[in-house]
Amino acid sequence: MEALGLLLHGFAVLLTWKTLVLMMVGLVLGIFVGVLPGLGGPNGVAILLPLTFTMDPTSAIVMLSCIYWGALFGGAITSILFNIPGEAWSVATTFDGYPMAQQGRAAEALTAAFTSSFVGSLVAVLLITFLAPMISSFALKFGPPEFFAVYLLTFCSFVGLGREAKHKTVISMSLGLLLAGIGMDTVSGNLRMTFGSPELLRGINFLVAVIGLFGISEILLTMEERLALRGHAAGISLRVVLGVWKDLPKYWVTLLRSSFIGCWLGITPGGAIAASFMGYNLAKRFAKESESFGKGRIEGVFAPETAAHASGTSALLPMLALGIPGSGTAAILLGGLMVWGLNPGPLLFVEHKDFVWGLIASMYLGNVVGLVLVLTTVPIFASILRVPFAAVAPMIVVSCAIGAYAIQNAMFDIWLMLGFGVVGYVFKKIGIPLAPFTLALVLGNRAEDAFRLSMIGSGGTLKVFWSNGLVGSITTLAILLLFWPVIDNLLGRVGLTHGTRATSP
Amino acid sequence: MSQTDIEIVVEDPTAPEDDSPSVVSSGTIEIVVCLLLLALAVTLGFDNWRTGASWDATGPEPGYFPFYLSVILAGGSFYGLVATLLARRASSGTFVTRAQGRRVLAVFVPTLLFCLTTQFLGLYVASFLLIAGFMRLVGRIALWKSLLTAFAFTAIMFVTFDVAFDVIMPKGPLEAALGR
Amino acid sequence: MKLVRIPVKAVGAATALLLSTPAFAGWEPTKPVEIVVAAGAGGASDQMARMMQAAIQKNNLMKQPMVVSLKGGASGAEALMYMKSSEGDPNKVLIAYSLIYMLPLSAKIPFNWRELTPVSVVALDQFVLWDNSAGPKTVKEFVAAAKAASAPFKMGGTGSKREDHVLTVFLEQKTGAKFSYLPYKSGGEAATQLVGNHTEANVNNPSENLEVWRAGQVRPLCVFDRERISYTTKVTDTQSWADIPTCKEEGVDVQYLMLRAMFLPGKVTPEQQAFYVDLFHKVTQTAEYKDYMEKQALKPIFLTGKDMVQFLEEDDALNKSLMTEAGFVAK
Repeated sequence: MEALGLLLHGFAVLLTWKTLVLMMVGLVLGIFVGVLPGLGGPNGVAILLPLTFTMDPTSAIVMLSCIYWGALFGGAITSILFNIPGEAWSVATTFDGYPMAQQGRAAEALTAAFTSSFVGSLVAVLLITFLAPMISSFALKFGPPEFFAVYLLTFCSFVGLGREAKHKTVISMSLGLLLAGIGMDTVSGNLRMTFGSPELLRGINFLVAVIGLFGISEILLTMEERLALRGHAAGISLRVVLGVWKDLPKYWVTLLRSSFIGCWLGITPGGAIAASFMGYNLAKRFAKESESFGKGRIEGVFAPETAAHASGTSALLPMLALGIPGSGTAAILLGGLMVWGLNPGPLLFVEHKDFVWGLIASMYLGNVVGLVLVLTTVPIFASILRVPFAAVAPMIVVSCAIGAYAIQNAMFDIWLMLGFGVVGYVFKKIGIPLAPFTLALVLGNRAEDAFRLSMIGSGGTLKVFWSNGLVGSITTLAILLLFWPVIDNLLGRVGLTHGTRATSP
Repeated sequence: MSQTDIEIVVEDPTAPEDDSPSVVSSGTIEIVVCLLLLALAVTLGFDNWRTGASWDATGPEPGYFPFYLSVILAGGSFYGLVATLLARRASSGTFVTRAQGRRVLAVFVPTLLFCLTTQFLGLYVASFLLIAGFMRLVGRIALWKSLLTAFAFTAIMFVTFDVAFDVIMPKGPLEAALGR
Repeated sequence: MKLVRIPVKAVGAATALLLSTPAFAGWEPTKPVEIVVAAGAGGASDQMARMMQAAIQKNNLMKQPMVVSLKGGASGAEALMYMKSSEGDPNKVLIAYSLIYMLPLSAKIPFNWRELTPVSVVALDQFVLWDNSAGPKTVKEFVAAAKAASAPFKMGGTGSKREDHVLTVFLEQKTGAKFSYLPYKSGGEAATQLVGNHTEANVNNPSENLEVWRAGQVRPLCVFDRERISYTTKVTDTQSWADIPTCKEEGVDVQYLMLRAMFLPGKVTPEQQAFYVDLFHKVTQTAEYKDYMEKQALKPIFLTGKDMVQFLEEDDALNKSLMTEAGFVAK
């Protein structure tokens, strides 16, 4: 089996003391970031990214992806103990996790959360292991039209599936695309929208925008609300852990269903947030006494956590293989890859085997090590919350500024970050979604370049997007997704409702 | 069952009162945002039209996509403007209450000052001042604790970035005097 | 059509001149030195900067560390503006290539290399015409196929209105074949697109196509220089760099070489300039540098002082005439 051999090679790349230490450091930082209100996976990764600029790519991605796993684990801690979801995708975990903690079953809930996170990512990693080699042989088929079709698909799925008011999604995405166009246009070699300013010459860096939009604005939002906490700390004893694990096989349907949802939504850009809600809702719908959900039922923890982690992990597959991120954090890792000089895309699997399989192997190891780590360190991390916010907030501001500056060594970027902080705060409050904006800022230029290269190559005819089976089916799918609400509506009228729509419990 | 169940309680003495009056409604902010976006769209749209926004023999010119995106953005903002104006009488939630606004400014103003200080005195001095000042003045934490935390954090950052990873941060006269 | 040519000075004379200069005890950097790269990560400039960083650190050529700073924004214009605004700062050194002549012409960037302090020219980079290994085997067959094709052949390259684009235009003029030029973001991307058969050819630097050539996925057709590349060590199973014919041998008389040179910002003191002249001269003597030159098939050269300025003036004039002729100068 080719995949297994490559995977073993990946483990060999990974099993050095240096990498293992970086892995532990990454996990600890990640849990820290996940527990802190006002930070979280994408922000933590964005802020810590510059730290890895001088490392070799394999060490760097191992550390960053471990920060990511850590943040996924950390988010569950605050949701269950304090009813504060450290991450948006942990919201569904609070529905049953917090009641369990109130009933004095915090340890059980935490174990359930960590274990199911582990199961979810394991399923997704297995999927990646066996799909990745297929993707690399599929690789070379991607020219400009194919790339454009995939970008189009990504954009359309955001417009078509988003739950926010349509015009707000449109505003958010077109603003992102516009800002992405500032600076030098690769295809013509001309400057655009720079208004003669040397600072605008290099364009708006996506990471600077993300640090402002998420990091700074989140502090403003957190500050606005009441910061008082009341929760339960818990030590986890081996007996509880074994007790939960013994019951695990009873819930195999839930675990499998959530893993499947997670993988599917991770690969398409639905993201972990949608996955966790969908996992929870389906578990509730198919359960025998569904009214007991929300009152401290262990399945209510299993379902969203498994789905969130499965999608968080599988989101890395399209990022590596096609250069298209399935989640916000994956988008930031994508930026990292380019900084290290690796071109994400089909050929990454051919040209940088060490890197790709090292990363995949680190997913296995990182999850095992992470599970052990969180189970043993819960009390310590819970106590972070006792540190006053007045001390944490300025430290986050400083970390954000360092992160923003380090990307391009430009003072202007610190101001830009502050500006995006205000934009993020206002947008979040009036319900303009930030995800399409971020996505547009990352992919805008690439999509435009791919489109214009396709035009140059084909002599200016749009038929090139249906010129072969591959590009044709992707383009068609994209257009279907764009008009999905209309189609869905029509199907609904005929009486064919579909069951996956998330409803808040 | 776990034997070590301890309750953690964190009080927030400066929490905003729930009954604080509203400063500005969401509707008003939405209108302002839409107007700003509209202005931005017009500015960028004009610049792109000047660059060239037509479709020539080898596909679109550099200004083609940005120009039409400006049009879409303008359309979206205009739609938002009209929708908000029409819905205004029906319901308008609070964007921010007076107490919340004060607290948001309590973070935003120091952050702004921090950026200014970074520009002139370097990042590390600014970081020390921000952390110490914020903890002392906003968090009302003991002066020695504030100074110590600020110093420790700034020192750790300095060692991590400037010494260990050679990521060079903006510096000011203090660092120059110390020979970095 | 004019002969495209770059003057190449005798290396020996310049080196001898340098060796006679006394050791400079006057000035030394007191802060980490930034080596500014006007291109993205992993490109030829970046690789070269990292080689120099390693050579300097391994051989203890400088007390302060050297940090690579990537400023590839706006096709490298970011780096140029950064150097321009760092007047008087002796801790920044730019690793420049032909963009210093071309960008101010094509994109109206307010920059002139004469505002910077020249240190030394450290290498000359070659250009090679490549096609897919399934494509035509010689230049003649390639040109014939390009002329016969119903749609113009697609030529990949880095950036627009830059060296690759200029070469494509001259190739068209010399052969009479039509190409549609596809500007990619990097040489690496141009290489993979050629492998995937999405373009018919590219004019990458040797280093950019090295890996795919070794993998047998592309074929070098000819090199755009008056003489063959001098390295005779086998790169693939059967071929070395020296086995690639020149384009002139194959009947296409187009030549172009690209400088790789070091610059300091403007208004630095002569002592500071002298320190770096000496430093980069030492770098060219290291095993790391020699090894790198051979691996990437670069042409060794070391010019400094008056020789360098004269070289730059001639090179500038040449690039300007090429750009004008190709119609790439912005109005």
